[in-house]
Amino acid sequence: MKRFIPHEELARDSRFVRQDNAQVNVLASLPDDLDVVVGVFEKFSPMIEASVQGTAAQPLFEKYGPGFMLTILNEPLDPEAPAALTRLLLRMHGIFVGELQALEGAARSLWDFPEAPWEFKMNMARQCWDEGRHVQIFEKLLTHLGGEVGMFPESTFLFEAACSEDPAMRVAGVNRGLEGLACDVFRDMIRYAEKTDDEVMKQAVDYVLADEITHVRFGSEWVREFTKDSPEHLERAQEFRREVDRRFSFGGARSDREDAAIPIAWEDRVEAGFSQEELEELTQLAGEGPSKQTLVDAAEILRERYLAERRDPGHESVS
Amino acid sequence: MSTRMYPGMGPEERTTFPPYSAFDVPADLRQLHGRYDVEATARRVRNFRYAEEWLMMTLGGWIATIPEVPVKTGLGKIIWETALAADEFGKRLPELRCGRKALESSEASNHAFADFVQAVAEPETPDLTIEKLAGVFDVLIPHLVEVYELHNRETDAICDAPTIEILEHILRYKRQHIAWGDEVLDTLCESDALRERRRVRADSLQAQLVESGGVTGQLSQAPPSDA
Repeated sequence: MKRFIPHEELARDSRFVRQDNAQVNVLASLPDDLDVVVGVFEKFSPMIEASVQGTAAQPLFEKYGPGFMLTILNEPLDPEAPAALTRLLLRMHGIFVGELQALEGAARSLWDFPEAPWEFKMNMARQCWDEGRHVQIFEKLLTHLGGEVGMFPESTFLFEAACSEDPAMRVAGVNRGLEGLACDVFRDMIRYAEKTDDEVMKQAVDYVLADEITHVRFGSEWVREFTKDSPEHLERAQEFRREVDRRFSFGGARSDREDAAIPIAWEDRVEAGFSQEELEELTQLAGEGPSKQTLVDAAEILRERYLAERRDPGHESVS
Repeated sequence: MSTRMYPGMGPEERTTFPPYSAFDVPADLRQLHGRYDVEATARRVRNFRYAEEWLMMTLGGWIATIPEVPVKTGLGKIIWETALAADEFGKRLPELRCGRKALESSEASNHAFADFVQAVAEPETPDLTIEKLAGVFDVLIPHLVEVYELHNRETDAICDAPTIEILEHILRYKRQHIAWGDEVLDTLCESDALRERRRVRADSLQAQLVESGGVTGQLSQAPPSDA
């Protein structure tokens, strides 16, 4: 068995559909420029349309056009908002596949780094069990909400972004970047469950959040250990984690903005070992990229152009 | 007759308590005799740890390459319990005069067993779940169960009791793992052709395992089991 596998080789059963990671990667590097955001999403439109065909996201594409993800990602979950259940399911499905990739990332760390210290292997092995349970929990929560595995396409960008061939960077990416994002998302899901009096979801996600804090702590400790003899290595690992955090901020959707779709879970992150300095840095880089208003305007333009094109194929719209 | 609570200096100053101990109820029939001395047990524990550590790493490598979700999640738990087994063996080694640094030492009994472990780990692509699981759950883990049970029957039941306790604990997990793997394989092998794939893979690895002498390299030296 070879060491290190690309994200394209993550094995899935016939329920799953893949989404091109380019969309998410581009979203993470967009400037705060309305024309650029609209242009990029129009360019990706055929790819986005193809990836949602036959999934529960197809009606959203047909209603909002290629910018539907901008609306989904950047608006906080609100039980009273239009398509609230679909958006909740989309996020829940995203968490489910995220847990799957976290399981795969932790498990591959056991095989990819055979010379790693035993305590590291123990931590990764424990994480395998935890992530396996998380996959089971979110599959059940999907069912609890009326959804099912495979109802939306899966982006494997979490695994792609986080799984480095350097063990310090792997734990920086998987355990601090990916699991840190999980802390933010789960705290937000707990708030949503409280709003909707969903005790099942609230309790299950709260347990998962407790596990994730432990996993971030594993990451904090092992980045320190793997880089203890080389400040330069530590800086590279930190830069890798910054890049992962930038991509996982989805152009500001996960940020410290007042109306962020996914607010940064400061208290949970502090408990998990993030320093104040790191959190301030995360706030800054997560806030980079297009402003909320730019994304809202872009989503509206994209929707209008898409619907106009459907009504009158071949027409040229002017924004 | 007055009761003497504490012994004095002379033979007539003994206490009146009968020589009675917890070991007499029930009668302790164990004997101070075992097949393995300290060095032999230490070597075997290092061999056991080698098998458990590689099993854990192999399962970790496979999770991403197995398409069936319940198999991925089930293996997650087995990986953790296998890591606990390797860890327990590691902690036993310093107690067997291997030094404090022995916590992480693993050792294959011989090259042939190391090659066998690599052969178990060989299947890689997503269409080979049957081959992956058959190697582990039909061959390697049943072999470990057999050897661990044999060790517990043959080692000194009093002197080597800590190893016995560790093995008993690990055996409980291992039997659950075999039952899980067997159920999964039965489900996956739904046709004669698939059942044949399982059988061929298991037979081939079983032959290689026997050839290697097994986890301790002493398969052929083992006396016939009580069964």
